[in-house]
Amino acid sequence: MKKRTFAALLLGALTAASLIGCSGSNSSQSAESAATAAGEETDNSAEQTAGGSYTIGISQFAVHGSLDNCREGFLEGLAEEGIEEGKNLTVLYENANGDGAVSSQIASGFISQKADLICAIATPAAQSAYSAARKENIPVIYTAVTDPVSAELANEDKTPVGEITGTSDRLPVTEQLAMIREILPDAKKIGIMYSTSEVNSLSTLEEYKEAAAEYGFEIVESGVSTAADVPLAADQLVEKVDCINNLTDNTVVSALQVVLDAAGKKGIPVFGSEIEQVKNGCLASVGLDYVELGKQTGRMAAKVLKGEAKASEMSFEIIEGGSFYGNSKVAENLGITLPEDLVSDAAEMFDEISE
Amino acid sequence: MSIILGVINEGLIYALMALGVYITYSILDFPDLSVDSTFPLGAAVAATMILAGVPPFLTLFIAFAAGALAGTATGLIHVKLKVRDLLSGIIVMTALYSINLSITDNKANLPIFSQETIFENAFIDGLAKPLSEYSTVIILLLIVLVVKILLDLYMKTRSGYLLRAVGDNETLVTSLAKDKGSVKILGLALANGLAALSGAVYCQQKGFFEISIGTGTIVMGLASVIIGTKVFSRFGKIKATTAVILGTIVYKACISAAMAMGLKTLYMKLITSLFFLIILVVSENRKKKVR
Repeated sequence: MKKRTFAALLLGALTAASLIGCSGSNSSQSAESAATAAGEETDNSAEQTAGGSYTIGISQFAVHGSLDNCREGFLEGLAEEGIEEGKNLTVLYENANGDGAVSSQIASGFISQKADLICAIATPAAQSAYSAARKENIPVIYTAVTDPVSAELANEDKTPVGEITGTSDRLPVTEQLAMIREILPDAKKIGIMYSTSEVNSLSTLEEYKEAAAEYGFEIVESGVSTAADVPLAADQLVEKVDCINNLTDNTVVSALQVVLDAAGKKGIPVFGSEIEQVKNGCLASVGLDYVELGKQTGRMAAKVLKGEAKASEMSFEIIEGGSFYGNSKVAENLGITLPEDLVSDAAEMFDEISE
Repeated sequence: MSIILGVINEGLIYALMALGVYITYSILDFPDLSVDSTFPLGAAVAATMILAGVPPFLTLFIAFAAGALAGTATGLIHVKLKVRDLLSGIIVMTALYSINLSITDNKANLPIFSQETIFENAFIDGLAKPLSEYSTVIILLLIVLVVKILLDLYMKTRSGYLLRAVGDNETLVTSLAKDKGSVKILGLALANGLAALSGAVYCQQKGFFEISIGTGTIVMGLASVIIGTKVFSRFGKIKATTAVILGTIVYKACISAAMAMGLKTLYMKLITSLFFLIILVVSENRKKKVR
């Protein structure tokens, strides 16, 4: 009797799992059939390759606005080179939701599904992908890795350590500091909140500390370990500083509203690190365009897929220079006038705060 | 082939941790959540030591010792300070997060790709072709076998018997004029030592330490132990330790199969807990044994 119930339940569980599994894979299956269809039609443009169609695995470390933009850009970059999802490209997409062990599982899953290339978004994803792929010689293209050298994915001279290359999202730290100085001529202390579990934040924070003195600033740091720590840390930080500057820290950015509220009560501005944050209520930012970063990465991946270059032969690329984004509604609320020369050169200005 | 090998590799690495969970959960009837942090603790210790030039093999022992220390802390909090079992695990788990970060000098991610590990060193590189391809799985198998045999031998010693007695019948232990508290502490130390050892092996095989690898370790361990002891104990006489090791490999195979079928990783945790719940319900005779 026991055995029978056991078997029945197990069967039930497996059915449930496969049902969910199917609903999840529907899109990729249809993409696959579309890919074969495209493979048969040879009237496609000159980019049509000998292989016909490709399968790539995208392993994203967490759900995050900038990382999502990277992924979109990556697919656009591939499409520019004639490798389009639904035509000659099957995309397997998995998100580790910030869990390192899951990230490793995703990477080995892609290898068992015979991906031609793995695109890894963010540092831990890149490391797991490289760890799993290096024995199989499957190329890995990463993006949004702030410091590939300290992540041991590249050598000091930017050359790859193996079949792995990609793009780095090193923040334009000095440009950001110069921008803050221009907007707030009298400010002395900049507060930076970061989470202790994110390696990218730590290395960017170091850069800020090194460069701050040159612009007459002092950096006040505040480390948090979870999103739940952000409210207390924000309340304390706003008491000590003249403005707050955000990094691309996943934890802090996901609790951005809390930081904005605390700063708003005190009437001090919060500077963002990329466009999304400015849209959501940061005063301004010299930020990276993550879609552009993704596109650049996509073009690199296309070269590898087409066999024009090997990943191990390409040095990693850094997106050069940031562009200015400002939010005039936030400026109005704070009673700050954004300098005219910044506004006229802005890549984009927002006049409302989106929730 | 590489899929099967991958599953076995993963299974063997986590089997070390599952053996620890077997001690706390099945033998001591103590749901010990500290493994969620002792697993990354082992990884942090191993990665930091390797970067400091300590021989990779030696780091396994140091990691075990560090884990055992953390387990002792859980035990002391529970036994001496009379904090409930689940809570003492949570306390240590939370505290270790900071300790793990301080071990790695505040780095949440510590790569050791370029360093020599137990899986990648001059000796392994020198091996001939068929052997070198399977070197990882052979090394893992050796480690797991040694740990299993040692654990089996330990269970037959006086101390091992007492350990089992505490889980089954605390009164018996007291009537033997033995302190059940210290036996519990010993069991927790052993279990967390194994979890840390598992973490040390994990980070050497993956080539990096990452603070987030510990999330959900306990669930994985419990699922493996339950699959192992409930499913494999049905196939005639088989040692519980062997069953746990097989259980871990089966668990990893299930996850791998689910992913190959196109399961979104988004649902992974949901499926794991459902799977876990089902096995728990099926094995409800566990309660009869314990109560």
